[in-house]
Amino acid sequence: MDSTATLSAESVVDLPVADTFGLFGSGRAEAWLFDARCERVAAGNVVSMRLPIDGDDRRSGRHGVELLGRISAVRPNSRIVVEHDQPWRGRIRLAFDADGAHRTRVRVRADVTASGIDWLIRRGGVALPDPAPTDALRIGLLTTKSGPGAVYASATQYLAELAVAEVEALGGVGGRRLELLVADDATDPALAAAEGARLVRAGCRAIFACTTSSSFDALRHAVRGDDVLLVHSVINEGGAVHSASVVRFGERPGAQVAALARPLMRAAGGRRWFLVGQRYSWSFGAHHAARRVLGGAGGSVVGEECVPLGTTDFAGVVDRVAASGADIVMSSLVGADEVAFQRQCAAAGLRSSTKALSLVMDESTWEHVGATAAEGVVTALGYFQDDPAAGNADLLRRYRDRFGPWAPPISSLSETVYEAVLRYARAVRHDPDADAAQQGRALVRPDGSGSAIGERDLLGRHLYLAEAGPDGLRVVDEAG
Amino acid sequence: MTSANENLAFDALSDRVRRRILSILGEGEFTVTEIADQVGVVGRTTVSSHLRVLRTSGIVTERRDGRLRYYSLDADGSVRDAFNFLQSLLESSVRVAERDQDRPDTSRREAG
Repeated sequence: MDSTATLSAESVVDLPVADTFGLFGSGRAEAWLFDARCERVAAGNVVSMRLPIDGDDRRSGRHGVELLGRISAVRPNSRIVVEHDQPWRGRIRLAFDADGAHRTRVRVRADVTASGIDWLIRRGGVALPDPAPTDALRIGLLTTKSGPGAVYASATQYLAELAVAEVEALGGVGGRRLELLVADDATDPALAAAEGARLVRAGCRAIFACTTSSSFDALRHAVRGDDVLLVHSVINEGGAVHSASVVRFGERPGAQVAALARPLMRAAGGRRWFLVGQRYSWSFGAHHAARRVLGGAGGSVVGEECVPLGTTDFAGVVDRVAASGADIVMSSLVGADEVAFQRQCAAAGLRSSTKALSLVMDESTWEHVGATAAEGVVTALGYFQDDPAAGNADLLRRYRDRFGPWAPPISSLSETVYEAVLRYARAVRHDPDADAAQQGRALVRPDGSGSAIGERDLLGRHLYLAEAGPDGLRVVDEAG
Repeated sequence: MTSANENLAFDALSDRVRRRILSILGEGEFTVTEIADQVGVVGRTTVSSHLRVLRTSGIVTERRDGRLRYYSLDADGSVRDAFNFLQSLLESSVRVAERDQDRPDTSRREAG
């Protein structure tokens, strides 16, 4: 386990205790910790806070950093505890005490792990030395701990760690220990390239990327001359790969839309679609696939809007969707952008006039949107926590045993990484030192996998159809 | 009173050239000339002045060998600095002031 240090600070606020406590999460406080966003200040609620890490300096052009986690304990007018997972794992405890009748002493204590300190140093741009090579088989996880993608990537590292621990418990890979190095692309292709190159220098034989397609493309370009297997292990738009050492698992937008188009048009009583997405390859590919599928299913696209990653204000887009007379709005937005868009759709009353299809509404994104705002949104993914597949209850139990009750939900985006690492360990066990192309061919060779968790068929692209209800994403059908 | 963005090292790192220098130093110890060759876009004098900022911030150390000066990352300094930065973040986290209700709220974001 990571070693932990505790830092603390305190201040006196010129307000009575109840008023000071009431400022937390109210949107009325200036301090970043109190400016938390959550549905309710109650245990179990997800919470996000913008860290003032880059000051007012926007020259860097980098995405902001959100602390993402969950409120784990609340005693009214007395204390609040937040457990967070992004951009590092830690705990923040806030205590409120009366200081006379009209003032409040606020104390904060933060537990920070060594990996949290590492993250901060790397965020600063300092390239820390990598752990010295061992005789273990080293693999890398390129994930997203900050920027818009941090929302859907919350559980990715945990699931990769769980897979590695389970491979280790069974004796490793062909007698070798399996070792995981983790890197953060900060939802930034340039950083994905730099961090990918670092993972290769550190001796990683394979890199599992749970990143945007633009980060994955940058990674491919950066390490194209190296003997390393690249595995895109989240939903993506696919496309020609032309290399045995590049493997893309995950759902495909064409199949998602094909599974959902007819039931949605039936439910909406109309065939007019509005497509909303990001301005990069994922949405371009997804919308292209959607147009093709919808054309064949008798649907028509009446509008389309693509915005840059990191967009927070969708007022104009929501207006145009409403004005278009669309029956169904399909979103290929991801992470924090999708959270903002769905919340603003609900707030604008769009739910009463249009059905919503979201391509990347995993459990983590869902809980940041919030149950009320997300209600009725449909999606289709290869895994849900509400998954009837054999072994799922056991996976959830092992996950909670290891990472605790407040860790983010497992979702298709993190479960696919778990499956991909296990599949890799099985595929290369006879020859862990094979070159990247051989490893890649072994990884995509049919291996008799089916629907059971831990040996889920990542190539068959089976989908569950799910709808957001008051308690989460509920599986309603299957396809593929 | 120090605020988060007054933090010395994180200020030092706000510059693209300085971040590039640090990624070069991540691979070992180099002279000014070697660093300038790798950075490419700016001259030796500019690199020298950036190195001075990084050294003052405690991120980079200098070693003299005869007439040459070698630069490398100061890992201990970086850790110390990260702790200082976290401490300043925490102090700002509880310096609670109620937002002026008459002023339109432009800072609060909708995104999660």
